[in-house]
Parts: sequence; C-alpha cells; structure tokens
Amino acid sequence: MIDLALFAFVMAFLALGVARPFLWVLAYIYIDILAPQKIGWVLTPALPISLIAFCAAFAGWLLTDPKSETRFHYRQGLMLFLLLYCFATTQTADFPVEAATKWEWVWKALVFAIFLPFTLTTRTRIEGVILTIVLTVGAIVISAGMKTALGGGGYGSLYFFVNDNSNIYESSTLATVAIGMTPLIAWLMKYGRVFSPDWRVKTFGVCLIFACLLIPVGTEARTGLLCIAVLGVLLLRTVKNRIAYIAGAAMLGLVALPFLPASYWERMSTITEHGGDQSASTRVAVWEWTLDYVSENPFGGGFDAYRGNSFKYIMPERKEEGSSVSIEYVEVEDKGRAFHSSYFELLGEQGYPGFIVWIMLQLTGLWQMERLRRRYRTRDGPEDVWIGPLAAGLQNAHVVYLVGAAFQGIGYQPVIYLFLGLQIALWTYCAKRESLAPDEGNRQRGSRRAKRAARNPSSAPVRETAMP
Amino acid sequence: MIDYFALALCHGLLLIALLRLARRSDVDSDAALEDEADTLSAREKRAKRRKITATAREP
Repeated sequence: MIDLALFAFVMAFLALGVARPFLWVLAYIYIDILAPQKIGWVLTPALPISLIAFCAAFAGWLLTDPKSETRFHYRQGLMLFLLLYCFATTQTADFPVEAATKWEWVWKALVFAIFLPFTLTTRTRIEGVILTIVLTVGAIVISAGMKTALGGGGYGSLYFFVNDNSNIYESSTLATVAIGMTPLIAWLMKYGRVFSPDWRVKTFGVCLIFACLLIPVGTEARTGLLCIAVLGVLLLRTVKNRIAYIAGAAMLGLVALPFLPASYWERMSTITEHGGDQSASTRVAVWEWTLDYVSENPFGGGFDAYRGNSFKYIMPERKEEGSSVSIEYVEVEDKGRAFHSSYFELLGEQGYPGFIVWIMLQLTGLWQMERLRRRYRTRDGPEDVWIGPLAAGLQNAHVVYLVGAAFQGIGYQPVIYLFLGLQIALWTYCAKRESLAPDEGNRQRGSRRAKRAARNPSSAPVRETAMP
Repeated sequence: MIDYFALALCHGLLLIALLRLARRSDVDSDAALEDEADTLSAREKRAKRRKITATAREP
C-alpha cells in the first residue's frame, strides 16, 4: 500500500512538472532526501526515479528557462574544482572499489549543487526549494520525533523509514540536519508565501521545530546536543528581547529535564570525557593518524582512504566485581575506522588542495550570508524584508552543520550542498536586484560614506573650493 | 502507524504546495526583479531623451 502511494506521488510530482518544469528540480530534491525507492518494495525501486528526476530537472532548465540572466558564481567554480579533484583522486585511490562506490553519489550531490543556483531565479523558487527540504526532512523528523515522544528511541535503536545509515538516515546526520533546518522552518512561518503565515502554518511549524529538537534526544546523538547549544547562542544575535529569550530557553530546558530518559543522560555525560569511551578515543586516534597520513600523502588518498588505518590506543575499562569497581587501562587495537569528522575526511581523502577548496566554500558562504544579513536587516519593504532573515537562517544552518561536521564524516552530505546552492542563489538574486537599482546602491554607499565621515571627521574627503 | 501518519501528513502538504506552485505565475518571473528592471529601463529612457534634447540644443 505504502509502495503504491509513494509511486503514485512520485508520478504525480513528475506529471506536475510538465505544467511547470521547475517542479522537476523539487522532485529530484524530494527523491534525493527521502529515497522513496528504498522505502517501497516493488513499484518505486522498479524505476530509476532518481535518475529520471535528475535528467528531467536538467532538461526542464535547458529547454524552458531563460539563460540571458544566468551567472556562474565563483563558489560554483569552487564546487566544480572539488568535483574534478574528487574525480582525479578516485582514479588513484588507495581503495579503488570503495572509492568508486562513494564517487557514485558524491558527484551527483556536487553536480546538483552547482546546477541548483541556475534554476533559482525568483523568490518563489527559492521558497519552493526550502519548503521541499523542510517537508521532506519533516516526514522523517515527525516520525522519529513522535517515536521519541512516545518512549521509543535510544542510541542506534530509533527506526527510520530506511535503516541502512545512508545519506540522511544516519542518526547523527539526521540530528544535525534537523537542528540546522529549524531556522528555515521559522523563516517559512514568517515569510512564506506558498503557505501564507496563519495559525495553521504557525502551529505546524512550532510542532515541527519541537520534533527537530527531539531528534538528538531520540537518537542520543551527542553532536545534536552540541548543535542545539550552538544554535541557541547564534539566535541571540537576531532575537529582539535577549533577556526574555535566555529566560525562556532556560525555562524550557528545566521543564524538559525530567522527561529525558536516563540513557540519554548517561550518553551525554561522556561528551567531556573523550578518554572514557571507545567512540571518542577512536576519533582522536583516527584524527592523529589522518594528520600523519596527509603529511605523507599531501594530495589525499581518495574516498574511503581511512580503510588503510590501523592504530593502538589506551582506554579505561570498567570492571565490576561484587560491590567494588575497578578501572583497568587496556591497549585497544583498531583498524579501518572512519574519519568521524568532515574536516579530517576531506583532509585524508582529498589532501590539502581538496581541503582548502572545501573550507573556502564554507567560509565564503558564512561571509556572504553575513553581508546580506547586515545589508538587509534594516530594510522593511515587502520585497526586501524576507532577505535578511533568510540570510541569517541559512548562515545559522551552515554554522550548525560546521559544528556537527566536526564529529561526523558528512563532508559531501547532499542536503548540506542544497543549503550551499541556496546561499549562492540568494546572493546572486540580491546582486541581480542591486544591479537593476543602481540609485539605491549609490544612495547606500553615500550614506555609509556620510556615517564614516561623521565618525571620523579627519577621514572626510577634502574638497577644493574656489578662492573668492 | 506513526510512519504512515508522518508520510501522509508531509506528502499531503507537499502535494498542496506543488499544486499551488504549479498555478503561481511568480514561480518563473519575479515581480521585484521586473519592477526594478522597468524602473531601470524608464530611467535609461529618460536619460536618453535628455541626451537627445541636449544634443539638439547645441548650436
């Protein structure tokens, strides 16, 4: 039944694209995130729906969209370089078979992220992509959140629609994406036009944000808790009443405490003791190994280069005998442990060139969103008011990702590349609007110059005046 | 049961969103961009006219 329903939905999605080809872009995003072909058994896996949507999205843009205003942004150039570089390292990878398997999905994520900004030429299209991401991830989040609220969940035991740890269906990845998505839900609740903000949209949005906050609890992903804390601090920049916000957050935390399961507290208490559990000790050992590896292989070892690692480390082992507890330090040997950090993943797999380009891609995104946030925060016209909050939302989502990425290998996570594509699209959209309104730009530059001059009179330009 | 509920709710909302997007005219053309393009072309036309008038006045 669910197979038939999902198949019918995908077909309806693709059929609607005939009337509005841009919807094929949304269809690919939906299929890429939810993976309905893995949820169904017979019908949805029978057709290569992801490939069909991918080709349809490209064809729709090629045949129907005007290209006169298409601009290639330098951040798309960075992604193109990363794509070509990943292809090169895949050819010379330490583990060619495993590298080729990873390359199969990484190139799609990168190509689609390079392509996406070309299609996002209007505000409604940008909103359409955000809405599709929110509702598609929302399906997974609502299901997982409800299971958590009803007493299910636990580390590695919360069941999703797909349970193969692929893409977004990995507990820590889902926790990071869910927390990173909350600023975008809040943006849709206030500035959405497809679903005009009314009590129904706000109720759904609040419930969805609550479900997102439950994901780190349900999955017991320590990274998720860290992401919530970081997002909480970031929101201090944009909230109107900071004291009320801090008081509200503290109150919410206190109310939530008694409802959290004991297993959650046990797992969270290990955040600060990296020597206390194997997962954390392994990470530190893998990171040290990666630094050694990249110093010997500066151009990287290709995808899954971690498979070549082997190391020994000391970790405490707790032994209980009757009423006494003893701790023994034992040597543990580990082989082929994953990077457990996107930064080290990029460094080990793509070497210094790939890592530098990837970091530039991230930092330029944060910088551009900060510029847009500041530029548009005082503008309150109906066509401008949404830009500043969206830039802030995308920046917050990006920071949450970068924090989560420090503890898990999600350097090529497709959903995150969608966020990067959205950032480029927003930047290009604003640049286009500003290029069409040169007077406004000049006026702003003039007012900035006046402010600067008022602050520092000595720096004001000296004009020559004619002698009487 | 929870899975069915979550899938049905989000797919229902997604379908409504898609139907609305399929009908909206501002999906393919942005009103703000068009307004600014119109203003710019009007401004350019005015400047051109001014230039022509100034050239005609020159002896």
